Amino acid sequence: MGASTVLPLGKGEMGRHSEFVQHVMPHLDAAYNLARWLTRNDDDAEDVVQESFVRAFRFFDSLKEDDARPWLLAIVRNTAYTWLRKNRPSDVVALDDTSTIAEDTPTAGHSAPSDSNPEVVLLQSATRKLVNQALEDLPVAFREVLVMRELEDLSYKEIASVAGIPIGTVMSRLSRGRELLRQALELRMRRAS
Amino acid sequence: MSQPPPRDPADLEIARDATYHRAPETLRASVATLVGAAARAESRPRMHRAIGLAAAFAAVAVVTWNVAIFQAAPSRDDMFAHEVLAAHVRSLMAPGRLNDVESSDQHTVKPWFAGKLDFTPPVRDLAADGFPLAGGRLDYVDGRTVAELTYRRRLHAVSVFIWPEPKDGDAAMKERTLSGYSLATWRRNGMRYWAVTDAAPMELTHFVELLEAS
Repeated sequence: MGASTVLPLGKGEMGRHSEFVQHVMPHLDAAYNLARWLTRNDDDAEDVVQESFVRAFRFFDSLKEDDARPWLLAIVRNTAYTWLRKNRPSDVVALDDTSTIAEDTPTAGHSAPSDSNPEVVLLQSATRKLVNQALEDLPVAFREVLVMRELEDLSYKEIASVAGIPIGTVMSRLSRGRELLRQALELRMRRAS
Repeated sequence: MSQPPPRDPADLEIARDATYHRAPETLRASVATLVGAAARAESRPRMHRAIGLAAAFAAVAVVTWNVAIFQAAPSRDDMFAHEVLAAHVRSLMAPGRLNDVESSDQHTVKPWFAGKLDFTPPVRDLAADGFPLAGGRLDYVDGRTVAELTYRRRLHAVSVFIWPEPKDGDAAMKERTLSGYSLATWRRNGMRYWAVTDAAPMELTHFVELLEAS
């Protein structure tokens, strides 16, 4: 058997590999950030990201856009949802987009922190902790659009394609998600003080 | 101990107040490895189920064949790439003969080369960065004896070939892939370096950066 039939160089594969490394690998942070916010756990996020990248490589030919990030995030989201359905099915409940926000949540009554507070760093980390917790506690449907919009800076259109929902739903979930987050934060701040 | 009061919820800015979770370095490395393995797995079926040593032999055969058929007038870099890859595969194919001097101690490996070469290759251990030095050996590239240092990266091996190239100035790293292997070459302080590995290109880039920074 001649060498040519043993291994036809595999140049296509390796070209594909370096293209993947060039276009997709730079979005590893984005992939991890979304996976981490969806699974709410470091180890689970790593598992999801690893599986997502193997899938992404397999489906690399399906990438048509110049920017690989929304394409990759859609794969991460699918992988994370599959993982959640299997391991934490209560996290993935269908969302009724027409329901209104609960009216019994208390409104703002909290006084702003004094500007003269010298412990600015401590204050910021305290805020961060509360915001992180409040965001993690939001239903995943709100959490994911907020993360994609606010932390990943994706456009409404990109979020719609990643999450597979209409743009109008993206906008309403963003607005309701922000409101829910604000309310949850108030509740936590009052408990903390 | 009471915590200071947090910011007013009305001022909430998620982009500022929530954490952007960046991928840990360990994940970066494992993803690179997985993708590299996936890339190799895709090209494997074409090898007519040749596995293990046979695959390694085939790789060497292809390197030679590749030089003969496609590289009628190869550049010097192409020549070196093929020679260096063949040397790397050779060292992997001889179990127990990966290194002539087996040591993770740079102060053992470096003196071993003295008297065997007409130059002194720089030897650095990178164990702290996840690339422990495994040893050294001699090989033959471009008609001369060269130093080969081997490092470990989990289940992968990285070979670094070093020989003198007395030219002015340093040359930036150039990378390429060949038959599923990642290669990089650069010149520093009058020495030509070639690094070869079956780990992912990103891992090799990282390795070279560490080596250059040490």
